[in-house]
Amino acid sequence: MKRRTMQESSFLILTALAGGSQHGYAIVTDVEQISSGRVELKAGTLYAALERLTAEGLIEFDREEIVDNRLRRYYRITRDGAERLAEEADRLRANAHAALTRLRPGVAIS
Amino acid sequence: MTDHSPLERRYRRWLALYPKPFRAEREDEMVAVLIQGADPDQTRPRAREAANLATHGLRRRARGGRLPGDWERAHANVMFPVRIIIALWLCLISAFLIVYHRGELWLLLIVPAILLHLYIAYRIRPTAIPR
Repeated sequence: MKRRTMQESSFLILTALAGGSQHGYAIVTDVEQISSGRVELKAGTLYAALERLTAEGLIEFDREEIVDNRLRRYYRITRDGAERLAEEADRLRANAHAALTRLRPGVAIS
Repeated sequence: MTDHSPLERRYRRWLALYPKPFRAEREDEMVAVLIQGADPDQTRPRAREAANLATHGLRRRARGGRLPGDWERAHANVMFPVRIIIALWLCLISAFLIVYHRGELWLLLIVPAILLHLYIAYRIRPTAIPR
């Protein structure tokens, strides 16, 4: 079955979680950093994505903590999620390589 | 959750657009994220943040407030080829009937049944789930 291209927000969230489990706000700041400030996840978008990724089995609930009277729920990437992220990263690299090669013919790109 | 600052109350009002079961599970967690992302002296939700909550909350409500469960997913996956087979079977039957009862246009009534099965098959196609 042909897989749909992953949404950028999903890709960035999985990338954030690939480094270890994180809670909601940590994901927001991490995604911002990974994308060099370009992607600012809003809470509504974040939780829609977390719910979808959980339903697809790409991430799962890890644990929860109460910090300053606030609930923090941690999420972690699953094995399927890591595989899917690696596939998507390969795909993006291949596309980027093709684009750069054609823009600058004759220049070898690592 | 004893802290009920004006900002928190306002955020919770926006979160009320989400369906109840979702809120029971996620509201406190989302409030924590929203408050952490707010400036220290902020008393009102930012317009874009509120619009984002409204969009996702209403979209979530429109979807029936939940994602399909494992059972529903499995059911849809099994029923998809069954629907296709029923539609094809009806095509075959109607073809035979039309050949043997030439000129009897009431047989065209089978067409909506075929279309219905194809439509349902389309709606429950495996790639349509969970979204």
